[in-house]
Amino acid sequence: MKQLKNAYIYDSIRTPRGEGKSSGALYQVKPVDLLTTTLCALEKRNKLPTEQVSDAIIGCVSPVNGQGYNIAKTALLYSNWSDCVGGMQLNRFCTSGLEAINLAAVKIAAGHGDLIIAGGVESMSRVPLRSDGGALINDPEVINKVKYLPQGVAADLIASLEHFSREQLDEYALQSHQRASQAWKEGYFKNSIIPVVDQNELVVLDKDEHIRPNADLEGLAQLAPSFRFAGELGYESMALQKYPELEKLQYRHTAGNSSGMVDGAALVLIGSEEIGKRLDLQPRAKIRNFALAGGEPTIMLTGTITAAQKALERAEMSAKDIDLWECNEAFASVVLKFQQAMNINPKNLNVNGGSIAMGHPLGATGSILVGTLLDELERRDLKTGLVTLCAGGGMGVATIIERV
Amino acid sequence: MIRYKKDTNNIATLILDMKNRPKNLINHEMVDAFMPVLEQLKKEKNRNELRGVIITSNKRNFLEGGDLEYLYRADDPQEVLELIHHLKKLFRAIENPGVPVVSAINGSALSTGFEMALATHHRIVLDNPKIRLGLPEVNLGLIPGGGGIIRLMWLLGIERAYEILALGRVYRPKEALKEEIIDDIACDERELMDKAREWILTTKEGRRPWDQEDMDISFGTADDAEMTSKIRRLNIQLVKENQFHFPAKHSILNILAEGSKVDFDTASEIESRYYTEVVCSETAKNKIKAFYFDHNAIMSGENRPKGFGKFRPKKIGVIGAGLMGSGIATSCAVKGLEVVLKDVSKVIAQRGKQHISNNLQEMLERNEIGEDERASILKKVYTTEKARDFDTCDLVIEAVFENANLKQKVTQEAENYMDEFSFVGSNTLSIPISQLAEVSQKPENYVGLHFFPPAHRVPLVEIVKGKKTSDETIARAFDFVKAIDKIPIIVSDNWGFYAARVQNTFLLESITMLSEGYAPALIENLGLQAGMPRGGLSMADELGLAMVLRYEEQADEHYGTKYVQHPAVEVLNKMIQELDRKGKTSSKGFYDYEEKSRQLWLELKTHFPSHQKDYDRQEVIERFLFAQVIEAGWCLQEGVIRTEAAANLGSIYGWGFPATKGGVIQYIFDYGKEAFLTRCKDFEERFGQRFKVPSFLKRLIEIY
Repeated sequence: MKQLKNAYIYDSIRTPRGEGKSSGALYQVKPVDLLTTTLCALEKRNKLPTEQVSDAIIGCVSPVNGQGYNIAKTALLYSNWSDCVGGMQLNRFCTSGLEAINLAAVKIAAGHGDLIIAGGVESMSRVPLRSDGGALINDPEVINKVKYLPQGVAADLIASLEHFSREQLDEYALQSHQRASQAWKEGYFKNSIIPVVDQNELVVLDKDEHIRPNADLEGLAQLAPSFRFAGELGYESMALQKYPELEKLQYRHTAGNSSGMVDGAALVLIGSEEIGKRLDLQPRAKIRNFALAGGEPTIMLTGTITAAQKALERAEMSAKDIDLWECNEAFASVVLKFQQAMNINPKNLNVNGGSIAMGHPLGATGSILVGTLLDELERRDLKTGLVTLCAGGGMGVATIIERV
Repeated sequence: MIRYKKDTNNIATLILDMKNRPKNLINHEMVDAFMPVLEQLKKEKNRNELRGVIITSNKRNFLEGGDLEYLYRADDPQEVLELIHHLKKLFRAIENPGVPVVSAINGSALSTGFEMALATHHRIVLDNPKIRLGLPEVNLGLIPGGGGIIRLMWLLGIERAYEILALGRVYRPKEALKEEIIDDIACDERELMDKAREWILTTKEGRRPWDQEDMDISFGTADDAEMTSKIRRLNIQLVKENQFHFPAKHSILNILAEGSKVDFDTASEIESRYYTEVVCSETAKNKIKAFYFDHNAIMSGENRPKGFGKFRPKKIGVIGAGLMGSGIATSCAVKGLEVVLKDVSKVIAQRGKQHISNNLQEMLERNEIGEDERASILKKVYTTEKARDFDTCDLVIEAVFENANLKQKVTQEAENYMDEFSFVGSNTLSIPISQLAEVSQKPENYVGLHFFPPAHRVPLVEIVKGKKTSDETIARAFDFVKAIDKIPIIVSDNWGFYAARVQNTFLLESITMLSEGYAPALIENLGLQAGMPRGGLSMADELGLAMVLRYEEQADEHYGTKYVQHPAVEVLNKMIQELDRKGKTSSKGFYDYEEKSRQLWLELKTHFPSHQKDYDRQEVIERFLFAQVIEAGWCLQEGVIRTEAAANLGSIYGWGFPATKGGVIQYIFDYGKEAFLTRCKDFEERFGQRFKVPSFLKRLIEIY
């Protein structure tokens, strides 16, 4: 895997995240415009000759309607990029934005392209979760055979098995909001944020909409469990069939300690060493290694652990060698479980908050986290970081980056 | 077979009339008989000499289906698929002669018979409350395969079709009309035929919605978001209810979900393929075995003492107007028997009548009785405080508290007024009948009649033969139980009789695992996964731990020096004596009970640490089931229960042994008899003598 060292991150940007509902600021913006916003900004700030870009790999989890028919190529054409740039949309659920980066790195390593855009986009207000149907969530025969739970119920299953209390989960959520507000206040994100503007160049949104700077434990404690209804309808019974040592499910995840549904897009510019020199781009980090893992699909959300371990092994590193960690805050229990299993100091994990505070625009989050991590490594002048996300079907993806 | 008539309006009437059979059945003979008739209709249609077709019957039923003898044996998927295709083709042909086709249903139309009616364009039913209509296949672990699922879906939508098919209820004509599975009813045969002709004369063509271009399935397909979410909901509710122990219901939902996305004929083919899978499945065989063959064997009276004339009960006395007494009274009254319900005061007896009224309401909601019957049923129950009112009863059943003295006292009182032809039945779950009969004036006329709660629902009664109970009394008890439409199994006067005794081994095995370090929740959940209605610890709590222990002590007394103590006894003693955890009535057992909720007692893990981590799930499940099989084997060997059929059905209805396995003895064959013996040997070596296979059972296994 020596060649992998040849894939470098040259830039990373993202839009602010709007609430993924009809009252959200980005509901008025069509999904392709979110992606176009980032493409144009990336081109402009790197003075990219777009014909030098070989491909754009874009994660998108619900690729139908406004996000359908290959939104990657659609946005490239719409952004007036060179006709020769390829575009593909990929879906590995919540890890898509990270998978896009890994795939770009592999292509570069193999010599199939020198400069590739990786990223993701999701307008959850326009194209809600599950809009693309699918047998794994809709076909009773498939659901039963796999014993496939709604993700929130799976998150509650983790909390129940690990005895994470409601207070623990809420405290974690509060910390996410506090860290994210602090980061915004101090301007830690400012280098990467591309405001979404309209056709008149007027700002539609320039900050993350989901953050609650004034969140407190009392408020969080008052929120009703979100997945009790589904659990009591019968998914609890399905969960206990797989995990019979558990007497009952504890319903501890709420809208407050789960990731927010939001709209947003993010891009990472990845290329070989030579192309950087040729185009006078400064490499910021190299992709050290990465891994994909598949795990038990009923509990579903613990793939991060195996993926991280695998990536570390491939990079011939141990957890101690990682300076900062990003584990997507799909649900509080996912992060707590990861932190426990990897034995990470909470101070080094999700240091600027995460999806609980700022939201989780499914296909884009993986790319966002890489950008956030890289910005923070630079700010603190640290070297290594690991990003991981759990995904539907029990999968997990992890990527290790190292500043150069 | 099929008689053909045509009137001056060119309306053809097909009269189903099978030779040498009391009823019309849909089998290959019937299918073959239809073919030339349909040819004939086609010719007449081409000559413009056919206005419509009426199908009716000359038998006491219209048409019933499902050749269970065949379905039980069928194991070649190719053959099953071809046969069902053949049948579907026939129904399609009946559906498409180019003229309107009406079913004039003048008798019961069930299963495939009802499917054929669904293939006609209009269903009119004679309004006779004895007529039954519907698709009850799921009750035998089967599903309709003649296109009935797809037609019902088109007519009623996925959700309603699912509910009707998964419930497997049969309906009286009025209820069927309310459920919209038929189109009209008629008050007599004449009106039935008039209405049929009139409908034909006012209908132009009679093409079904699925054969018309612009028609859609009512309420949408599984590709519509709203319907998708309904299907998900129905599915997960089913999972919760049955823990995957009702595969036929899952097949129905799968057929509806997939069949809704494609055209009618493709959907029918999807139905056929699932149907074939279901027919060939072990579950279907086991259920047919239990609910058809074993049921018939018992009801035919193979265990009833011979040489006694049929007893026809008319009036039944019930002592004790509690839930059990009222449940028994309900069962009697519903079947047209007069009931004298006695308790210590008229007021309390009257309260029992209220219970009966509630039971009837429940039965009404389940379509088991008609609205018009309710008042007349209730009128059959006379409440009293005087034993004297039993003087004209054929049988008096006591259902008072489980206390020997009390039971003896109330039956003695009743006997004072009963004549020499009547007999006494005692509903006890644990007191020996011989003991209760000691004070009886006529112990030969004293029998145990063990109903199971809720007595108006559970279709099983254990008839307990005391030392002195005469064969004639047993025969009469048998006839009585049959008369109230319940299944009589004759058992001997042993501890716990049959059901409670065998059930107890599941409880004991669960309790034993606690001491072996299995997590309490694991024991409970795997009990459910084994197909038991509740976890063993929960069942033990409900029975009361003292009672669980008491049964085992009785086994000890019975076997004397041969008895080997069950490892659960130690746990039970510790729970009862040391830890003061006696069960549900004291709110403290293996669970902690609060008003509406319960939770496994947290301290259980302190007293019985859960150290089993890498448990073998299948092994736990098998221990639960095998323990019961072996005890049932002892019951057969000791003559506690007389036949395999009684052992099977008794296990399903008596304590909820999984019906998917066909009952406690059939399970051996479901599991594989060689594999069963090997596994028992392994269990015997590892867990003790209680897994030794009784010699009777070994012989039984050899015979098969």
